[in-house]
Amino acid sequence: MDKGFSILHKIVKSSNARQKVIASNIANADTPGYKARDVKFDNLLKKEMKLLATDPKHFNSNNSGNISGHVITENSLSWADGNNVELNTEVAKMTENALRHDAAIRILNGKIKMYRNAIRGR
Amino acid sequence: MDIFNVSASALEAQRVRMNTIASNMANAQSTKTEDGGPYVKKDVIFRTMPVNNKAAEGLQGVKVSGVVEDSKPPIVVYDPGHPDADEDGYVSMPNINVIEEMVNMMMALRSYEANVKAFNISKGMYQKALELGRF
Repeated sequence: MDKGFSILHKIVKSSNARQKVIASNIANADTPGYKARDVKFDNLLKKEMKLLATDPKHFNSNNSGNISGHVITENSLSWADGNNVELNTEVAKMTENALRHDAAIRILNGKIKMYRNAIRGR
Repeated sequence: MDIFNVSASALEAQRVRMNTIASNMANAQSTKTEDGGPYVKKDVIFRTMPVNNKAAEGLQGVKVSGVVEDSKPPIVVYDPGHPDADEDGYVSMPNINVIEEMVNMMMALRSYEANVKAFNISKGMYQKALELGRF
């Protein structure tokens, strides 16, 4: 089936995972010793996107839909209490992440609508 | 739905912090408590709290691990007419800086607001996902 579904699925899944990590950072903005975390997926997605962009034929169909991001710890400068969460940055990251998620959902909806119309023949 | 537990745990923790700050401000002039002596400033201690053992995914809630008393000595004021004055006429007043408490209150409020925002954004994401395929 349409490869786009697989990519969009990955975007939705990865933004969900990232949202959890950012929410944890915001929750622990005042916890002594807590280090901000983030999830890295971008390489995986970029690799697939690049293949898609150069030639659609490059894009092979064995996408499992599994995405394995890894949680990293930010080693930016900490406050005296050992905490390095920057509240503004986290809120900005979260807003961006939610927009990415919503965009993927919107495109998915468009695709579903397209297929539905094709099936119904109108 | 663990993500909502994370944000909710933080809202709860910040509310406890806010209660503590309110008590400190309310008792800035209390020279006598039930334990005797002047009121002592209280502070909350935050700790991370794993949610459903999913710390590996970066899920970390927060909890108040305890309320501790400040170690600063009371401020001694000479006021012989005061009912709580000692034989030399000195009264022990709580060592509370109201401005410091105000600053802490603002920080607690900002953190609370950020967590409400996080909660709402997560909710919005789930709602959008639920609308998939519904026209």
